[in-house]
Amino acid sequence: MITAPSIRALGLLRGTADRGGVLSLGRPEREGDRFRRASRECLLALAAVDAMLEDGVASRATIAGERTALLYVTAAAYVASNRDFIERRAGGTHFAYTAPVVVPAEVAIEFALTGPYAIFLGGAPATLRAMAHAAGLLERDVCDRALVLAVEIFEECADLYARAPRLLGRPLVEAAGCLWLERGRGELGVESGRGPRRSAPGEMLSCGPLADLADWRRGAQAGPLELSGWWRGETARLAWIEPPAGESAA
Amino acid sequence: MRVAVVVGTALGGVEEGEKVLAGSRRRRRLRDALYDGPGHNLARWLGSRGPVVTVSTACASGATALAVGAELLRRGEADAVVAGGYDILCRFVMRGFDALRSMTRDEVRPFDRRRSGLLLGEAAALVLLARERDAGPARLGTLLGYGSASDASHIAAPDPDGRGLERAIRAALRDADIGPDAVDFVSAHGTGTPLNDRIETAVLKRALGARAYAIPVNSIKASLGHTMGAAAALEAIMCLQASRHGLIPPTLHLEEPDPACDLDYVTGEARVLRPRISLSTSLGFGGCNAALVLEGAP
Repeated sequence: MITAPSIRALGLLRGTADRGGVLSLGRPEREGDRFRRASRECLLALAAVDAMLEDGVASRATIAGERTALLYVTAAAYVASNRDFIERRAGGTHFAYTAPVVVPAEVAIEFALTGPYAIFLGGAPATLRAMAHAAGLLERDVCDRALVLAVEIFEECADLYARAPRLLGRPLVEAAGCLWLERGRGELGVESGRGPRRSAPGEMLSCGPLADLADWRRGAQAGPLELSGWWRGETARLAWIEPPAGESAA
Repeated sequence: MRVAVVVGTALGGVEEGEKVLAGSRRRRRLRDALYDGPGHNLARWLGSRGPVVTVSTACASGATALAVGAELLRRGEADAVVAGGYDILCRFVMRGFDALRSMTRDEVRPFDRRRSGLLLGEAAALVLLARERDAGPARLGTLLGYGSASDASHIAAPDPDGRGLERAIRAALRDADIGPDAVDFVSAHGTGTPLNDRIETAVLKRALGARAYAIPVNSIKASLGHTMGAAAALEAIMCLQASRHGLIPPTLHLEEPDPACDLDYVTGEARVLRPRISLSTSLGFGGCNAALVLEGAP
């Protein structure tokens, strides 16, 4: 058992525009020359952090510096950039954007985050593990706050994903979310196992647990917070044994 | 027993992705093209029932994998962890590194004044991690500490001042609860690029103080190439093997030292020395920096 983190804020963007069977988030606008060539997944990650700061009524200065850990999760956000590079739709300099690390790198640069980091690849269990990892960092005083960032985009590769109906649920829902965790109280239960896919209203992969958390905060789920997820036959579950500080089920 | 698999990779199954886009209709290919595919395949092959985790912090991925594996043990999610890193060479990665102009046409010469870049290598390196009480007497060594930090300076180039790497080293020493005087050996990232080796030397001097000049430093990338996601795990194993065998491998092709790189690099032949505690550093694309502190088994 580890100490459960408290939830300070959550920013979550969910796709709504139906484009070829994918609920798309589109390409957010962002001012600045630096973002001219930035990939869509990078821009969505930045927008998710903006949304989190707005939710927490906090300034950028609050999260800047080396006491903020950044944990990024994705199952497939890099595939679109890989495709551009492989099919030579983008020049050699685009290679940088094919790496999953570029998304948290852009976020770290924009928000001056210089603390610990890790990048987990996979679906919902990866996000739950990133949250547990964050709880461990907070418990060991490696950081004062941890941001768990998740991004999934599908539109550019919808034709490829259509070939993998057993791997991915439907509809594919693009999402980007950022969760701000701080030291909390109570205990965090962490479980892993194997099992069948649970039915979900849409496939958000790594963003699924953040969407479930957003629903819980809105009072759509009653009782203590419990998050679970499935990917490639693997299941994971996180349970806040006591409600996170400052939170209660409505 | 719950055995977890934690692998680090910079490029995952990208070669499978190339085949999918070239028209392959095999359904399995798409699953394997996602970067966490190989980790799940390894877990299936091992018959692992524990968590399956893929991490990707570019060329620091192997170090991140060892740290995440240790964390799974710490919080009781697994009883043992197969952890490490891998990466393969394919057209995608060769074209990418060529575009970055980071590859040399010469030998890889870490810390040499003539150094002009890196050469890529292919590798997979895994260790079995267990809690102290479960490890038994046959252990290779102990992971004492880990630190990571982000540069927040550029998406593809390292921070010219190496502040992120310095923070990572300090965090790893703190996590291991040791000071610079306890470090016996440094396995440097040492890619052989003009910028990396100069930055790393300066950072080691700042982070370790006067002790930096008294510690042997090597880079095995001139021998094995830059193996990306495998590099940090491979170098961690090298540190522990150096402790076991009492020999530190040399930095090949370091013949004309760069005045800006003025530490005690191991050159020419392997040095007869049995380091107890080693520090291993890694820098990755996207401003990822990581450091491991390892203790060889007595």
